[in-house]
Amino acid sequence: MPNISIEVGVSSNLHPPTTDLAVSAHGMRKVYHTRGHPAVEALRGLDLTVKRGERVALLGRNGAGKTTFLKIASTLLLPTAGTLEIFGLDAVKRPEEVRPLIAVVPQEGHPFYHLTPWEQVYTYLRSRGFPRDVARDRTESALKDMGIFDIRSQLNVTLSGGQQQRTMVATVLATEAPLLFLDEPTLGMDPFARRGVWAALRKLTDRGSTILLTTHYLDEAESLSQRVYIVEHGHVVAEGTADELKRRVGGTVRVTMPEAGAHPADYESFGRIMAGDGVLHVITEPRRVSEILNLALSRGISPTVGPVTLEEAFLQLVGRAIEEDAR
Amino acid sequence: MLGDSRPAWHGLWAFAATEARVQLHEYLSIASTVLVQVIFIFFVWLLAPPYLLPFALVGSMVFSAFVIGERVLNEAAYIRIDHKLNELYHASPLSPESYFLGMGIGVLTAYLPTLVFIGLLTEAVHPLSLAAGGLLLLVLIGVWLIASSLGYILSTLFRDMRAIWPYSTLLFNFFGVLPPVFYPLGLFPGWLAPLALVLPPSAGAALLMYVIGLESLSGGQVILAATALIIETLLLSVAAVFWSRRTSREGA
Ligand SMILES: Nc1ncnc2c1ncn2[C@@H]1O[C@H](COP(=O)(O)OP(=O)(O)OP(=O)(O)O)[C@@H](O)[C@H]1O
Ligand SMILES: [Mg+2]
Repeated sequence: MPNISIEVGVSSNLHPPTTDLAVSAHGMRKVYHTRGHPAVEALRGLDLTVKRGERVALLGRNGAGKTTFLKIASTLLLPTAGTLEIFGLDAVKRPEEVRPLIAVVPQEGHPFYHLTPWEQVYTYLRSRGFPRDVARDRTESALKDMGIFDIRSQLNVTLSGGQQQRTMVATVLATEAPLLFLDEPTLGMDPFARRGVWAALRKLTDRGSTILLTTHYLDEAESLSQRVYIVEHGHVVAEGTADELKRRVGGTVRVTMPEAGAHPADYESFGRIMAGDGVLHVITEPRRVSEILNLALSRGISPTVGPVTLEEAFLQLVGRAIEEDAR
Repeated sequence: MLGDSRPAWHGLWAFAATEARVQLHEYLSIASTVLVQVIFIFFVWLLAPPYLLPFALVGSMVFSAFVIGERVLNEAAYIRIDHKLNELYHASPLSPESYFLGMGIGVLTAYLPTLVFIGLLTEAVHPLSLAAGGLLLLVLIGVWLIASSLGYILSTLFRDMRAIWPYSTLLFNFFGVLPPVFYPLGLFPGWLAPLALVLPPSAGAALLMYVIGLESLSGGQVILAATALIIETLLLSVAAVFWSRRTSREGA
C-alpha cells in the first residue's frame, strides 16, 4: 500500500485554514419554489456543526431535509437564509474557495456508464489536479478498499447496482479531501461492502479528513459516527452521541413481547411503551427487567430482552417531534 | 486566498479527456455519425448534378460541427439528471467553465473521425488552398463553440430527460439542415437570405463556399456572415462561461 499523504489536489499549498470547525451552519433555511406548486420549506432554521476530524451522521425521515442541507453545505445549492462556514470560509458568498477542500457522494448518483471503475476514479482525480502517479496509486488503493479492484476493467454499465455505488464511493474517497459529504453512501450495498466503506471512512478521519454523511441504516450511524444529528421537518430535533440519544428515550434495555395478549397498561409503570408490527416494546432500566419478565411469564407471554438500539431512540425522538409539530 | 489561487481553466484538459474517453467507448455511435454523413453524400453524388457535391461536402462538415451541440445538450443533461455527476465535479477544484468546455471538447472527439474523413473527401473532390483550409478550420471551431455553448446552456433548463430529446433533435436539425448549409444560398428564398447569413451553420457554410469559389457573395453579404459568426461565437461562449458558473449552484 503506497504511503499517501493528505493533499487537497490542486497543489500542495491548498490546505484548509486552521480552524477547529469543519462545518458551522446557523439558522439555515431553504424554501423551494416550483412554478405551479406551493413553496416547500425544506429547512427551517437548522443549526449544525462538525468538528475537524469528526465523523457525523445526519439522520431523519424521508423528506426531512438531509439532502437539502448536504447540497447547501457542499456549495451545490443556495440557501434562502442562514450562515454557513466551511473551515471558517463563507461557503455562501465564496463557494469557489470551499470547493477545492470538499468532495461529495450524491444521493443515488451513478458513475459514467461508458467508463470502467478504474477510469472513473483515475480521471476524476486527474480533473481535480492530481499528478498522474499520485492518481494511479490512489485509484488502485481506493478500488481495493472498496473491493472492486477485480472488476476495474469492466464498463460501469455492466456492474450491479451495489458495484456502481462502490465505484462512486471509491471515486470520492480517493480524493482524501479535507471534508467529505456522503449522501446515503452505502445504499444498496451488501453487509461486507458496507463494512468496507466504514473502514475506509475511519481510515480517512484518522488521517485528518472530516466526514458528514446521511444514512437510513441506523446500525451504520451507530457504529460509524461519533455524533449524530436527527433532523425532522427541516430542523434539528436531537443531537449527541448514540448513547446520549438512547438515554434520552428512557432506558438502555428493551423487553419485547407479542402484542397479542399483552396489555400496554400493565407495563406502563416500568418505562416507555412502544407498540407496532405486532410486538410491544418496553424501554426500561436493567434493574426492572426481572419484574417485567415475571409479570409477562405469569400471563403466558414469552418476552425477549435486548439492548435499546439507535433505531428505537430515533423512532421515539422523531415521533415526539411529529406530535409536537401536529400540536 | 484559496480560491484565487485556482486558475479559471483548472482541470480543463483532464475533464475533456474524461469526456473523450466516455465518447470513445461508444465507438458504434461514432461509426454511425460517420456512416450517416457518408450515406447522405453518396446519394448526393448519385442523384444530384455534379456541381452540388462540393456543397454537400462542405455542408456535411459544418453540420457535423453544429450537431455536436445536440450531443453536448444530451450528455450534459444526462450526466446531471441521471448520474448526478455534475455534483461530483462542481463540488471540486474543477472550475465550472472547464466542466462546460471540457464537455464540448470531449464530445468533439466523437465527431473528429467524421470531420477528418469528409475533409479528406472534400480535398479530393475540390482541392483547397491554404487560406481556404485555414478558414475552414476557423469556421468549424466557431460553429462548434456556438453549438456547444448553446447545447450546454439549454441542458441546464431541463429537469427530465424525456422532455429533452424532441427539442434537441428538432433544434439542431432544423437549423443545421433547413437553411442553405448543404446547398447553394441561391436556392434559398431571396427575402430570407439575410437570415441565412446570420444563422451560424448557414453563415459558416456560405463563407466557406465563397472562399472555395463555389458561391458568389456581395461584399456586404461576406461582411454580414463573418460579423454574425464572430459575434455569435464570442457572445455565446462568454454566455456559456457565465451560465456554467451560475448554474454550478442550484437556486442561484
Ligand atoms: N428541487 C426541489 N424542488 C422542490 N422541492 C424539493 C426539491 N428538493 C427537495 N424538495 C423537498 O424538500 C424536502 C426535503 O427534501 P430532501 O431531499 O432534503 O429530503 P431528505 O431528508 O434527503 O430525504 P430522503 O431521506 O428521502 O433522501 C422534501 O419535502 C422535498 O419534497
Ligand atoms: Mg436525501
